Amino acid sequence: MKTSLTKGLRSGIVFGIVFIFLMLIGFINVGADMVGDISSASAASGAGGRLPVGDLLIVIAVFGVFCGIAARSKSEEVQWWSALLGGLTAGITAGLLMGVAIWLVGSLSLDGVDFRTYLPSLNPASIQYLTFYSYPQSAGLTYLMYMAIFSVAGAALAWLLSFRDWLAKSWNSCKTGLGGWFEKKDVSRIFSNQWLMIVVFLAAGILLYFLPLAWGSYWNYIMGTVAIYILLGLGLNIIVGYSGQLVLGYVAFFATGAYTFALLTAPTPHGIEMNLWLAVGLSILVSTLTGLLLGLPILNLRGDYLAIVTLGFGEIVRILIRSDLLTSLTNGPKGVTSVGQPNLFGSPFSDVNFMHLLMLLVLIGLFIAKRLKDSNTGRAWIAIREDQTVAQATGINTFKHKILALLLGAAFAGLAGALFASRNQFTGPEDFTLMVSVNVLCIVIVGGMGSLPGVVLGAFVLKGIPELLREMADYRLLVFGALLVVMMIVRPEGLWPARRVRFKRSHADPDRQDAVEVEV
Amino acid sequence: MASGYPLPQQKSKLLLHKGWGSEVTSPSFHVYRSEIILMINKLKNQRLTLGLILRLLLGLAVVIYLGWRIYQTAFGEGTYGPDTWMRFLITGLVIGGMYALIAIGYTLVYGILFMINFAHGEVMMLGTFAGYFVLEAFAAIPAPTVANPDLNFLNAQPVIALVLTFLVGAGFSALMGYMLEKIAYRPLRGAPRLIPLISAIGASIFLQNAAQLLFGPQRRQYLNPDFLWRGTGWMILVGGKEVMLTYTGVFSFVLSILLMIGLFIMVKKTKLGKSMRAVAENKQAAALMGIDVDSVISKTFIISGILAGAAGVMWGLHNGLFNHFVGFLPGIKAFTAAVLGGIGNIPGAMMGGMLLGLLESIGPALLGIDFQLKDVIAFTILILVLIFRPSGLLGEALSEEKV
Repeated sequence: MKTSLTKGLRSGIVFGIVFIFLMLIGFINVGADMVGDISSASAASGAGGRLPVGDLLIVIAVFGVFCGIAARSKSEEVQWWSALLGGLTAGITAGLLMGVAIWLVGSLSLDGVDFRTYLPSLNPASIQYLTFYSYPQSAGLTYLMYMAIFSVAGAALAWLLSFRDWLAKSWNSCKTGLGGWFEKKDVSRIFSNQWLMIVVFLAAGILLYFLPLAWGSYWNYIMGTVAIYILLGLGLNIIVGYSGQLVLGYVAFFATGAYTFALLTAPTPHGIEMNLWLAVGLSILVSTLTGLLLGLPILNLRGDYLAIVTLGFGEIVRILIRSDLLTSLTNGPKGVTSVGQPNLFGSPFSDVNFMHLLMLLVLIGLFIAKRLKDSNTGRAWIAIREDQTVAQATGINTFKHKILALLLGAAFAGLAGALFASRNQFTGPEDFTLMVSVNVLCIVIVGGMGSLPGVVLGAFVLKGIPELLREMADYRLLVFGALLVVMMIVRPEGLWPARRVRFKRSHADPDRQDAVEVEV
Repeated sequence: MASGYPLPQQKSKLLLHKGWGSEVTSPSFHVYRSEIILMINKLKNQRLTLGLILRLLLGLAVVIYLGWRIYQTAFGEGTYGPDTWMRFLITGLVIGGMYALIAIGYTLVYGILFMINFAHGEVMMLGTFAGYFVLEAFAAIPAPTVANPDLNFLNAQPVIALVLTFLVGAGFSALMGYMLEKIAYRPLRGAPRLIPLISAIGASIFLQNAAQLLFGPQRRQYLNPDFLWRGTGWMILVGGKEVMLTYTGVFSFVLSILLMIGLFIMVKKTKLGKSMRAVAENKQAAALMGIDVDSVISKTFIISGILAGAAGVMWGLHNGLFNHFVGFLPGIKAFTAAVLGGIGNIPGAMMGGMLLGLLESIGPALLGIDFQLKDVIAFTILILVLIFRPSGLLGEALSEEKV
């Protein structure tokens, strides 16, 4: 009983503080707003243009349920009353914290204190909403009551689930069932049927062809961003995921590609207006050369040192681009406008055409990355990633392979940069901050290091979903940062981890089957 | 070099028998001899790779460029008088002191956990905010006297107010450092080294945006007590011209030196310092000697948080304007400073911080380049140090595993 009490107390304090923090940054209001959007049946706002109070109550209730679930003690043998007591403790603790905070804020606000000088999110309108348009004391009591009730409910739920072990069991059976299904030979035979796969690929291709036509330009814009980030992720995946070199200045190559393309095709600073496809090739080349320039002196560094050096390099490139020193070359902080756009039989590319181009390039990039991974070079990279000294001892020229990885990664970034500049028709130094590098790195890590589907998934999760959640635009980076930490703790191998390839002896050599069996 | 390490133990054994005979005269001589052998081996195995040639060329180019620019500034058209140089020197020392304080935090954590605490700059930023709110609160407390009815607590008791500000700022940063370690790093103890780094980047993004959302993106102004007002100071004569030695600058510099001395004594003399050094040396052995490794790590984060928080309050007092980005550049530069001095090495971090501050303020003038590019100087120094001397200026040569 004591453990469940302390557990409840701790959970209550954590949830109370988190709620107050979310309240202070205005997230609770946004959350209630989103609940309102989802349950739009009650969207007709209450009397006198007031926001519906019910949405806020739903948010508090959800919070309470999670608070109760978190209060569940890990040990298996818990009496039901002990679990409920833990939930009640958690709810009352969190509710007290929240209620006192609301009461303080509400009554101070009624006394005419303006919080906005220090806490801009806490404007009078949102405070009124948070106090349910009533007295602060009663609002505080409401919070306490709600938290207590729903925390107990959450604790009961958690207890029931843990008691029955139903969720865990069903999840396990699901997992084994699915795994068994995938391992069935029939299925693998279907997948190894070439004709069927051709049909599947054709169908996917047709779908991919028609999707941009159906989406409209807004979705094309978002998906275009995702595609560019997939290309970037593929490139960085070669450097970080395959060869294990932590590069934090990847944006430098992206910027070089974008600027090379922009300066070669835009009319304003230099007026070269080169053929676009040639310009794309040149921007890839220049990015690769930048990679060579950076890589040759520093690639014998390892780990964190390499990360910081490349981070510095990325910042140097950005600062140089916007400095007065290079203004005559790069147009300085103003950026380069009216970057060249590709033509299709004389008419300029529409967004649909561009999306098709991006899709095609992503597919080619995926193909190249896949082939690279399975090649001799790819295996050398993975060996270097796992243990450089051992790789060296087995005769791998580590320096050559590491520089090759960096060059290929830089080439991908150069291509992505050219596409980025061409699509936006603009490129400026502020497009190439450290956050781009961090974003791409997170795509690789969150997706799963060295995993190609992981890169695609990561790009969709990290670039696609935030673009869609426009209401949460201000909170995007906050959630992103928290997500990274949680992800590293809960699932460090990524959403879609790379499979470890085990090389078996060929089945064509039946005499050696015993070797495999001994190993297994 | 990068390609083809020989197996060092075997080769040195081989040479041991060939070159010096087998009699061992004294243990110290034995150690000395084996070191010489290792050095000779290293020279012998130094192949002329492309990377080495490039590094040599790069080094030559840098030296020639620096020499040329410095020659130009020194003997060319003398645009800057001695008073200007003095001004640069003062700025450099003040900023350098803050860099040094933050750099010590990086070095302490790196020495123990071998990870870059990427969110350390954000810890400093939170200290700046905490100090700001304390000062604002003191300014809001009235303390009227007969002579001056408008007096507030900040100016009535400026020393107490400042001490409390530093205590709260450093304390809050320490708390944040502790929480950071507990939430974001402790569960990842023993994971591959990339994992805590990503977690640290995530924590950094989170803290920065939390501060922005809480307090708004606008720049705020630090409210100094009147006797420490920014832009006031002693006038000193240099080369016939007056140069201002600001009060805030002197205050920050002296305080940072005092804090560094305090830290040094703590690490060298106290039991906690001893256990910190032990944990940095070898975690398992330290644990076997009865040291609570987790608590030592927590305390390390608390100490580095205290120093960062103090640096943050100083930053606010000295520079005035700040917002949620205030920790980013100082954080990265302090890391540069820590690397410059040799990461994991406390005197190195102090020296590196001072040196970096000086180079950053004097460098642009010395090299005759734009002051916009002072950040480039810091990063270029970082890259050059890592290329030519990865162990830093004072650092011992780190083993392969650590670099």
